Amino acid sequence: MTIELSRRGFCIGTALIGLQTVSSSAFAARSEDGTVRLGLVAPMSGPNARYGAFSLRGAQMAAKEINGAGGIGGRKINILAGDSQGTPVEGVSATRRLIDQDQVDFIIGDVSSSVTLAMQPVAEDAGVLLLNAASSNPKITYKAGVGGFKWTYRNYPTDENRALIVLQYAAEKKGFTKYAVLSVDSDYGRAAIEFTKKYLPRFKSQILTEDYYKEGEVDFRSVLSKIRDAGAQAIIMYGNADSSPIVGRQMIEVGIAGKIPLIGNAEFNTASTIKAAPKAMEGAIEAAAWLPAYDSEKSKAFVEKFTAEYREAPNNHAYVHWETTHLLAKAIEQAQSIDREKVRAALSKIHYASAVGEVTFDDHNQARLPMILLEIENGKPAIKGAYSAEIDYPK
Amino acid sequence: MFYTIIEQVVNGIVSGSVYAIVAVGMTMIFGVLRAINFAHGEYYMLGTFGAWFAIEYFDLPYPVAVVIGVVATSVIAVVVGNVVMQRIVGAPAEAGVLATLGVALILQNTIILVFGGSYKFFSGGYIEPVTLFGFTLAEQRILIIIVGLIVFVGLELMVTYSRMGKAMRAVSQNIECCAVVGIDVRHIALWTFILGAGLAALSGVLTAPVNVSVYGGMGELITFKTLPIIIMGGLGNVRGTFVAAMILGVAESLVATYVGLQFRDTVGFATLMLVLMWRPHGLFSAQARF
Repeated sequence: MTIELSRRGFCIGTALIGLQTVSSSAFAARSEDGTVRLGLVAPMSGPNARYGAFSLRGAQMAAKEINGAGGIGGRKINILAGDSQGTPVEGVSATRRLIDQDQVDFIIGDVSSSVTLAMQPVAEDAGVLLLNAASSNPKITYKAGVGGFKWTYRNYPTDENRALIVLQYAAEKKGFTKYAVLSVDSDYGRAAIEFTKKYLPRFKSQILTEDYYKEGEVDFRSVLSKIRDAGAQAIIMYGNADSSPIVGRQMIEVGIAGKIPLIGNAEFNTASTIKAAPKAMEGAIEAAAWLPAYDSEKSKAFVEKFTAEYREAPNNHAYVHWETTHLLAKAIEQAQSIDREKVRAALSKIHYASAVGEVTFDDHNQARLPMILLEIENGKPAIKGAYSAEIDYPK
Repeated sequence: MFYTIIEQVVNGIVSGSVYAIVAVGMTMIFGVLRAINFAHGEYYMLGTFGAWFAIEYFDLPYPVAVVIGVVATSVIAVVVGNVVMQRIVGAPAEAGVLATLGVALILQNTIILVFGGSYKFFSGGYIEPVTLFGFTLAEQRILIIIVGLIVFVGLELMVTYSRMGKAMRAVSQNIECCAVVGIDVRHIALWTFILGAGLAALSGVLTAPVNVSVYGGMGELITFKTLPIIIMGGLGNVRGTFVAAMILGVAESLVATYVGLQFRDTVGFATLMLVLMWRPHGLFSAQARF
């Protein structure tokens, strides 16, 4: 009897859910209010909330600019934020909520590679354009375009390019051949090292020690003293900005600050990080998609406007989300519609003048973008040039 | 080689001192309230935020900020103690788990709501490195070890000689008998809780200068570090907690060096399992609390 009842209950429940889905898709037509509903998935809480806050501000500033100029063909951009908390599981539910409940037209997200990789199939199933602005794991675009996921695009350089550029500079300009690895234990940190290893033989270099830290780790001294004793010439660190000041301070404690520089990417150039451990950050080498000191008119105007608006200098995430929102707006404008298929086609053919150069997409939906190489000199980031490299897609 | 091992043991002792100060509060609360305080890490976080706020907004010197952080947390603990903790004395275990988890979520999200979810940079403290017997340590870390020792000697004296301490021991051993002989159990529970929260806050403000980053969710990690320590030390046993904290600190340090940093967080529960296989009640008896 109990089984009978629960079965009946299950059937009724399923029918009700089905009805609800049908009714919501039938009656709540997307953007009937004449706006462009843009979902933004980013870590709004948790250890990476800082990135989410910058991403949202960047995208909101772009939306404000676009709306202020009359919108896209009369449509105003309405940004709906989803909190991924920096974890794949929350990222997927945020994406689902944005698609099913908020009926967004397009999604930008996430900052973390692990989250973006998990979001890709969800966006693909729903046929919603997912434009990534800040994840760098190469797998994201290996799987996109001709790789399979036709709805995923990325307007951000990949770790493969970054690994090559950093290693090349360290080997050719600094003469380093022995490295220690201290990267974040995520798809981003691990992939960056995987690609670094691919290029090590080219520069006759080797990795002596390899360690990955969990987000939120605060004690690096054991590993730093191991690195000191191993005789490494530089520490390859691909991590998050929040760990850099802690690592820097503890480098001072174990006596390697100023002797073994950090190379890679973990926002070594942020003013507060340099202030936290100036001696450790001196000589740090970083390849970034963008940085506030980048010398272009559009970039400088962005920094000025952002700083005036939020009383805080923008970071890389604020910039890429600002630029990507503008890029999407241009694609919508060229498509003269918010029809997802038309916007996707427009994006594939776009020639967009970004602050770091022209953006075009390859057949893997990956933007061709340069990386900016910088070195901290006398407590300030000095730009050493912009480098591009073609992506070597696996066959 | 030998030098490295000694250096890692010293590093472990520093981490152990931090764990010990946080865990001792949690174990005392367990002793008296019979409830694992899942919000314990949040008091660590509140103390850190209090000190950060004092430095950032009022430009106060670090020692004053330490006092402000601990006092502010104790005030919050008075409120939480009265509203929540006193009510779980004698209540079923699951009531304590749910109540403290709820408190943890409320405290964490209130801080995120007020100050935002982003990382804050803690600028106070004494971070200059000093060299002792060939080892380099930040001044702050030496301070942490010294304060850790003072706290444990102080607690030992308090629970042995003071009236309140004796009452705490009595309540931890037998609540019913205490009630029969006229000890105000709820009053003792409240003060134990405030003391525990204050110690967690003290640990937070002491470590903030070396941990640098301050954020709303920082307490979670501490709660989960503290759990294996208090179980290993024999739930409610102060001396056991101190030893367990040191074991965990040193084990973590050695694992981070010789196995890999990514395995550090697994050490706590792995060590706990090993200890429990050998001594199911923990290293020290739970009967000989305090």
